[in-house]
Order: sequence, then C-alpha cells, then structure tokens
Amino acid sequence: MIGKRLRFETSHSTEFVDITDRLRDEVHRSGLKIGRVHLQSLHTTVGLAINENEPLLIRDFQTLLERLAPVGASYQHDDFARRIGVALDEPVNGHAHCRQILLTGFATLLVEDGELVLGRWQSVFAVELDGPRHRELALQLDGEFGTSSLSPSGEQSVVPSSMRLAHRARERGEERRTATGPELVELELSRQLLVDPEPVSAPMRRLVEAGGKRLRPKLVQLTAGIGPRSEPLRAAALAAAVELLHNATLIHDDYVDESTHRRGRPTVAAAEGPERAVAVGDYYFAKATRLIAEIGNRSVTSTIAEALEAVCASQIDDVALRGAYPGDRDSYLRVVRGKTAALFAAACASGALLSEAGPEIVDALRRYGDLLGVAFQMADDMVDFSPSSGKPVGLDIRQRVLSLPLIYAAEDRTVGPEVRRLLAGSLGDAEVGRVAELVTISGALTRVRGEAEALVDAAVHELETIELDGLRPTLISLARSAVDRIA
Amino acid sequence: MAIQVVERDLERLHQLWEDGLSEAYRSYLEAVDGFEPSAQPRLALAAALVEVGVRLQGLGGRAAAPPSLLMGDLCLARASRLLADAAPQSIQVAFARAIEEMSSAAAAEQTAPHTRELLLRAFEAR
Repeated sequence: MIGKRLRFETSHSTEFVDITDRLRDEVHRSGLKIGRVHLQSLHTTVGLAINENEPLLIRDFQTLLERLAPVGASYQHDDFARRIGVALDEPVNGHAHCRQILLTGFATLLVEDGELVLGRWQSVFAVELDGPRHRELALQLDGEFGTSSLSPSGEQSVVPSSMRLAHRARERGEERRTATGPELVELELSRQLLVDPEPVSAPMRRLVEAGGKRLRPKLVQLTAGIGPRSEPLRAAALAAAVELLHNATLIHDDYVDESTHRRGRPTVAAAEGPERAVAVGDYYFAKATRLIAEIGNRSVTSTIAEALEAVCASQIDDVALRGAYPGDRDSYLRVVRGKTAALFAAACASGALLSEAGPEIVDALRRYGDLLGVAFQMADDMVDFSPSSGKPVGLDIRQRVLSLPLIYAAEDRTVGPEVRRLLAGSLGDAEVGRVAELVTISGALTRVRGEAEALVDAAVHELETIELDGLRPTLISLARSAVDRIA
Repeated sequence: MAIQVVERDLERLHQLWEDGLSEAYRSYLEAVDGFEPSAQPRLALAAALVEVGVRLQGLGGRAAAPPSLLMGDLCLARASRLLADAAPQSIQVAFARAIEEMSSAAAAEQTAPHTRELLLRAFEAR
C-alpha cells in the first residue's frame, strides 16, 4: 500500500477542482496494476464528487449548492456568541459546512490494468466550499503493484506549484480545450441572445448564426489560457461579449456602407430599416460593455473600452477618406489599425489580463494582435479580388471601401491613371470589373500579400520572447491562417 | 464646480462641446457630487456623451445620416471608456442597462423613458 497527500490551492469560494488527471498520474507513478485508490478529504468544507466536467453543468452544481445552503442565511454555527472556544480566525462559514454534508468526504476508485476505472463522462472533483485556501486530500493506493516510476528513495508526491498545475492542465487539456472552447462561446452567445427582447435579439441572432470566423473570441480564449488564472467560463463570457461588440459595430457599419448583405444574409439595415439597425447596434454595444464590466476586471474593461473608441474614431476617418478615394497607404494603415487591429489587439490583451498574465506577456500579445489585425485586413482586401472567395468580386470597389490593393493600383505608373479615372466616375458592373482587372495586372495583390505575410512574421516574432506555456504553435497557426486564405 | 474636462476626453468632440455637449455636461455635475472629486468631471461627461450620442444617432426616432451616426457611436464609446476609467462597476453596469432600455424600446417602437431621467437614475446605483 502507498499513502500520499494530494495538495492544491483553490482560488474561489466555491470551486470544482478536477483532480482526475492527478489521480491517474499517481496510479501510473505507483505502478498499481489492479486495486483501489482511496481518497479522503481532510477538511470539513471540502467535499468530493464524481461527475461530468462540463462547465455549464458545474455552474448548475454551484447554483444548486447556493440554493440549498445560501451564503448569508442564518446558520447557528456562525453565531460565535453562543459557541465555546471559537478561534480568533474562525470564518463565518456555516453555509460551507452545510454544503459539504450534501457531498461526500471520501471515495474509493477502482484500478484495472494500471488505469483508473472511470466512465466516459466521469471526472473526480475536489469541491472547495470555503475558499480560496490551501487544501489537502489523503490518498491510499492498495492492490497489486508492477513496476513503479517512483524515485528510488520512495519519495512521495511532490507538490506542484499553482503555476505548474496550470501548465500541466494545459498540456493535458490542449486537445480538449481546443474542442470545447469555441463551443463554450457559442453556448454563451446563444444564452445571452435567449434572454434579450425579441426586437433586438432576432436580428442579432440572424447575424450570429450566419457564422463569421470568430477570430476575436478565439484570441480571447487562447490568451485567457496563458496566465496562472485560467478560467474557461470567464474566458467564454468575455469572448462572447467581444463577439457581440464586434457584431454590433458591423450592424452600424452596414448601414453606413449601405451594404445589403453580410455573411450571405440581408443586413439588419436592409431587412428591417436603419432605425432598427441603430437600435440593435446600440443595444448590443451596451450589453457587451455590461457583460464585460460584470466580469469585474478593471484592466479588461478599460482595454476593451479603449479599443472600441479606436474602432469608432477610425470608422469616422474611413468615411471621411472616401472623399479622396482610394486614399494612400499611410491613411489606410491609420484607419485599419483602429478599425480592425484595435479589437484584435484588445482581444489578445484582455484574455491575457483575465488570466493574470504578466505585463510583458500582455504587451507582447497586444502587439501580436495589432500586427495580426492589420495583416487580416489586408488579406480581407485581397479576398475582394478573388473569384473563388464566394463573395462577388469588386464589392469593396463598388462600395468605395478602403482597400490597399486598390491604393497600390491607383499609384501604379502604368495602370494608375485608368484606375483613378474609373474610380472618379460612377461604378457600374463594367467599371468595377475593369478596375479589378487592372488591380490584378498591376501586381498590387502580390505586393499586398507580401506585406501581409511580413506582418504575420512580425506578429509571430512577438511571441518568441515570452513564455506562452504551450500555446505558441496555436497562436502561430492562427496568425498564418489569417493570410493563408488568400494563398 | 469648475469645468475640468481634460483635453483627451474631448478629442474630436470640440464642435459638439460647443453645440450642446457642454450644457449637458453641466447639468450632470450635480448628480456626480457624491463621487470622488477626481472622477466627477469624467462621470458627468460620460452621461452627457450618452445623452448627446443617442440623440445624434436618432435612436428612437428617424435614423441619422451616417456621419451623425458615427459621431454618436464615438460619443457612446468615449462614454464607455470614461466609465471604465472612473466609475465603479455598479455605475458601469447601470449605464449600460440604461442604454439597453432605451435601445430595446426603440427597436420595439415603444416610447423609452427620458434619457436624462434614466442616466440620473443610473448614478444612484453606486
């Protein structure tokens, strides 16, 4: 028999700490082939549970515990005047004790063929009920042992630091997080839209359900896994709010640009009129900022608010520049950095801030997001000239949207004069087609692609100087994919 | 109270300041009296920006032309940033809820409570 202690830190008053992988590690390290793992809580406010590790279900469990034994209800245990020998540091935690009695304090798990016997959806949780605290579980492994990977000295479990725990969880959970992260955001988006009044939720639901790349929420979720405080639910809430904010700006943009379709569906302004578009955009602007404020991290709130301000200011510049269409490269970069890159950068920085990553990591990710955002916009400009993109070629030209390939073509010695002449007149199908043709002939697309790729390289370079705990390949791949769609 | 709005907070909004934003700002100064003195100008300006912003956009009425809508958007975004910088969480949430109330009423083509009334009520959420 081997006896051990499983130690961990909790960070919330109520927290479901999944210890399944740590138990598996202990079984492997011990060499136990067939037998049992006995587990016992050493605290009166820590319980054990075996259930599914599904974030919304865990939220349900927390709600259930709160309902059954609410904080602040009258508990005799908390009436210190009536108790004898109350320690000076005695907490007011009658609710936590009552909750613990609803759970169990011990569990026995079976081991067969050197593996814990657990059903497909079963995970083992230590349930913190009065955190945050340092906690300890007693563990005994009993049965037939084969080769052990314990050190020759028989040294028992080394307590990993909270950072190392987070790192190991990420290493183990990479596959799972990638699979469930986007789903969590979709669930959160659906949940938020479900509670909104129909006149605003219906148009937004159409837009959200029509798809989109969800790059901004993806960036939030990825970067929210970098620091020591990785909380998938909070990250999903922030990611969904950022996506709602982005969609709110699109609804107003579509009215301003007189766009009839987005993501293959009629825009809110086209389908329901500009008045509805203004109202829906405002509603989700406000709701998203509220959801972000409710997360309760001031740095995150400020980061997103500053980005939103940059987006709106650049949108004004964008429209103003249409008087000098197609404009020049400097103006283009100034607008794009505000209109597109600011929210990319804020998505990266806010996720990292939420996870309490260090300032050097937050800054590097902010720069990564900024560069990626500009590259993404350049790639988006090029899509307008691609017949295989699924969008009508030349839509940006028709709507006089700022576009770097068009700027380069207009500056080209050979085709520039004709491009400028065409853009100065009214743009029918023939003119739009000719301008698109001239852009291709001029080599502007190759030039823009080169610039976008260089920006992605620079974004990737930003990641080289910081510790990303296994996330670097995913962030690099995401950056490359921003430009790959035009390859 | 003296007007202490900082230059950064009025960037791009000077014309609006001349055209009524300053009056709206002054009218909210009394409502922010109980807040930290350093936060008061920014809170009053945030409320004024929301009031002027939704008016510029034509929220609840005829939609404004694109340039006015975008200026209204900037007003709301600036207000949001000012609140993020200077307001407690409860006020940030209350302001957002006030805009949600106005915009959902507008979307449903119903009459919303008066903007100033909603925003003054939002200041009571602290």
